[in-house]
Amino acid sequence: MIRRIVLDVLKPHNPSVVEVSEALSHLEGVEAVNVIIYEIDQQVENAKIIIAGSSIDFENIKKKLEEMGATIHSVDEVAAGERIVEEVKTPQDRSARI
Amino acid sequence: MKFLEKIRRYIKISEVAPISRRYFIMNAFDGATTILGIVIGAYAAGITNEFWVIWSGLGVSLAMGLSGFAGAYMTEEAEREKKLNALEKSMLIELKDSVIGKASRFASLWAGIVDGVSPALTALVCLTPFFLSSHGFFSINFAIPLSVAMALTTMFLLGVFLGKISNRNMLFHGAKMLFVGLIITFIFLVLKITQ
Repeated sequence: MIRRIVLDVLKPHNPSVVEVSEALSHLEGVEAVNVIIYEIDQQVENAKIIIAGSSIDFENIKKKLEEMGATIHSVDEVAAGERIVEEVKTPQDRSARI
Repeated sequence: MKFLEKIRRYIKISEVAPISRRYFIMNAFDGATTILGIVIGAYAAGITNEFWVIWSGLGVSLAMGLSGFAGAYMTEEAEREKKLNALEKSMLIELKDSVIGKASRFASLWAGIVDGVSPALTALVCLTPFFLSSHGFFSINFAIPLSVAMALTTMFLLGVFLGKISNRNMLFHGAKMLFVGLIITFIFLVLKITQ
């Protein structure tokens, strides 16, 4: 049961982020969507997409993104289970060691 | 998704609205000008049978409609295919089945329909007096000036529409379009007088 997923996505300028986020938010099990564009090229743009919900179906998300002409570069974070576990800093983290 | 909503979405994604607007004005103007030419030419030739004008007009409308559709469809299809290929190259994926590919195919068809229907539509509007005349509503002597007036009005309104979308003086743009129609009318009338 996926509750939160963070994706790095490459998409064309059209459909816009508004349309992509709207389309994703209408999927079953999705409660909230956040799309942030962090790089824009002449033809395409890179977006960080955060999706939260009660039961996210990754295949559905992937299918919808492909339908919108976007492609998933990487899955950067997944939170699954009864509740969301937030990232914590541990002595093993590079930033903590420094 | 509802059909109209889908069409609206494809129009937005493919950004075909400004192109189809241009096609509409350009070809609607062509349609009105062509019928104006036929009507004034018929008047100059002294044609007294409205069916000659109607059939010539319908023939021209059909030809303009088909040529408009085929020309615009093929041109748009080639241009959009090129654009889609470039985008696919940047994305490193196939976009044929995505909403972008579908919108691209729709845009070609849409441009073709607009390009084909607009001249035929204005041509038919300008031919209306002759249809009415053939049904005995009035004589051909009244249908000719009425048709000319309708063609000139159509041109003026197309100009007004251009003025509206460019947020400029609508009457001035209307008058500019009307001027072209008046040139054609004037040339033929001079030819008729000097006959």
